[in-house]
Amino acid sequence: MSLKTTYQKRCLAALLLFIALLIALPLLLKGSPYIVNVLIVIFYTTTMSLAWNLLGGMTGQNSLGHAAYMGLGAYIGALLITKGGWNPWLTIPVAMLIVGLIAGVVFYPCFLLKGPYFTLVSIAFGETIRQFMLNWDFAGKAMGIPLAYGKPSFLEFRFHSKTPYYYIALVMVVCVYLLMRKINKSKLGFALKTIREDEDVASAIGIKPMKYKVIALVISAMIAAMVGCFYANYNRYIDCDLMLQSFSTEFVLPAIVGGAAFVEGPLVGGVILLCLSEWLRNQFGGILPGINLILYAIVLLCVIRFKPVGLLGWYGKSKAKDWVDHKILGKKDKE
Amino acid sequence: MKKVIAALLVASVAMSAMFANGTKEPVSSADASKEPIRIGAMYALSGDKAAIGNNIMRGVDFAAEMINAQGGVNGRMIEVVRGDTQGDPKVGRSVAERLVTQDHVNAILGCHQSTITQIAAQVCEQYQIPELTAISTVDNLSSQGYEYFFRMCPMNSVYVEDQFKFIADLGKQNNIPMKRIAIFADNSNIGQELIRCAKIWAPKYHMELVAEVQYSGGTTDLTSEVLKLRDSKPDAVLCESYIADAILFTKTLREQNAHPPVIVAKANGFADPSFIPATPGISNGIASVVEWNADLTKGKEINAKYKEKYGIDMNGHSAESFTAMWILKTAFEQAGTTDGTKVRDALLAMDIQGSFPGGPEIILPYDRIKFGDMEVEGVKHTHNNLYASVAIAQIQDGAWKTVWPFEVAGTPVQYPAKLQ
Repeated sequence: MSLKTTYQKRCLAALLLFIALLIALPLLLKGSPYIVNVLIVIFYTTTMSLAWNLLGGMTGQNSLGHAAYMGLGAYIGALLITKGGWNPWLTIPVAMLIVGLIAGVVFYPCFLLKGPYFTLVSIAFGETIRQFMLNWDFAGKAMGIPLAYGKPSFLEFRFHSKTPYYYIALVMVVCVYLLMRKINKSKLGFALKTIREDEDVASAIGIKPMKYKVIALVISAMIAAMVGCFYANYNRYIDCDLMLQSFSTEFVLPAIVGGAAFVEGPLVGGVILLCLSEWLRNQFGGILPGINLILYAIVLLCVIRFKPVGLLGWYGKSKAKDWVDHKILGKKDKE
Repeated sequence: MKKVIAALLVASVAMSAMFANGTKEPVSSADASKEPIRIGAMYALSGDKAAIGNNIMRGVDFAAEMINAQGGVNGRMIEVVRGDTQGDPKVGRSVAERLVTQDHVNAILGCHQSTITQIAAQVCEQYQIPELTAISTVDNLSSQGYEYFFRMCPMNSVYVEDQFKFIADLGKQNNIPMKRIAIFADNSNIGQELIRCAKIWAPKYHMELVAEVQYSGGTTDLTSEVLKLRDSKPDAVLCESYIADAILFTKTLREQNAHPPVIVAKANGFADPSFIPATPGISNGIASVVEWNADLTKGKEINAKYKEKYGIDMNGHSAESFTAMWILKTAFEQAGTTDGTKVRDALLAMDIQGSFPGGPEIILPYDRIKFGDMEVEGVKHTHNNLYASVAIAQIQDGAWKTVWPFEVAGTPVQYPAKLQ
């Protein structure tokens, strides 16, 4: 883009400042691995939410089984590392490929189902994978898979400090976000959005809904598998509870609260929800256990009741945005 | 671009909100001798596992109060810092990090779910802070070679071994052959653990697994499962079920006229307070593993004080967390410092026989606490309590009565199980 106006220049400056802040943050927070840990959780959860949003927000296929793709990715990664002696970095593309393949093959017929039926199948799929891992001797059954705890090494994807994980997660979320932006503006993105609005119209103008839905699902599942591998290497212990359906919901909420129609929705929602839940737990968790969950639920209900388009949908039309645009970023009315 | 700016604003606001929640600086070293010793207790205090977590915390608080009333550890008080894991491993990591780096705890006590204990153990390992679990039983926690992780309770395979020991002892006592063992288990992770361990111990106790009945938790009908169990004509049945299934199982036994002479549950649903009221008159004779029970010959005085304070008897979990607090107290006392590595060494060197130095007797069914290495099925386990064991209680006249080990039990075993 060409930078002609003050507005564009200031927007770019703000963006660069934000990026610089993200890069410098672990150095600024040297004394607080706790906050770095919270940021890492925010990064991988929002990455999952971005992946969900490709299918849920952009294509309109609400999946409640995304934790299963993530868990499957984590299991494949962890098994290859512990049983196969693979390098952890190599397991990531392999896990992504396998999970993408499984998702494509299993769900190809399922896309004949529409609306809530697809959602139901996604829940069933998640539970099936979980039960399978739970009953599979090779995958450690109920004991899960611990990854060796040892000397830190980049090659082994194993660090004692939080900082390397922070940067890896940051790169992950930024790459996935850029990919989503790209998809949003591409032919694929327009096809997906057409399918979301009206499948029959999409078919009539030559977009094959089945084909595009499967493409969206495979990309989404592959990203989830990548996050799964990161999760396994970060927490160094996985078990099948990772694939519980309640975790799938955690990936849906940021997108819905942030605004599922926007590529940035999951980012905004993820930052707000995770900071909120962490802060509430710190403030109230020790004093009155459970109050934090109640407050969290109230905030969620308010957003969904009063701002069903999500926070970004509301912000885009609000006075706050006008104010920020004009006063801070120096936007002129005619732009 | 506009959306990016929006995201940016939100992020900055949220982050500043988090930083506002400042860190607690450790008190300066000048008055270190007066500064309390902080113990981080990590349990689920909210969410669906909150009832268990809060019960565990009663044992922790009770012990802390008792220790502080006696003058603390070398004059330093014990302060319990609560960390609510909500039963979620992601939250667990964050709580462990916070306890260690923000609240500067000197040791961590926890957790309940083994997944979270595993994650907390890594955090403790990294910051060289000892972690003691009183409750987590999954075997592979202690086979990772962690240097700062200690386990007081028996691990799953020891639990199940004690079930086998009980069955064998019962056979010897009554002069009846105990050969045919059947398993009735939920197909969840805990059920799988029972099956895995039973396969290890059955041959060692010269018994045979004649049936392995699995069902999916929360089912509405167990008839075919119970029939399978009945047809295998077991001498004893080992069970693992959540509460609703445990009740249904007991009722179905009655309906199908199945009378296995011995039923030993691995606590869980069968030990739930609502189990006996929900199965009036048909559950007598069912036995279960217990870590502690109010009719044990040990810990009566402590339980009386506990009941006065909280209005209920101690149970296995609270008795275990109570004991774990005393272990930590003794370790800090013997180390003479709060330095993580020295406290770990003190835990390793500790050998408690009968009662804690200057404290109560060990109220659990064993008399000695010593951490060390052991081997199960060729896997090396480190820093486990070598003498840990469990007791077995049986429902008699609608109440749990401890029946095994025979030397601490108050009541003889009812054989065969009446189930009426």
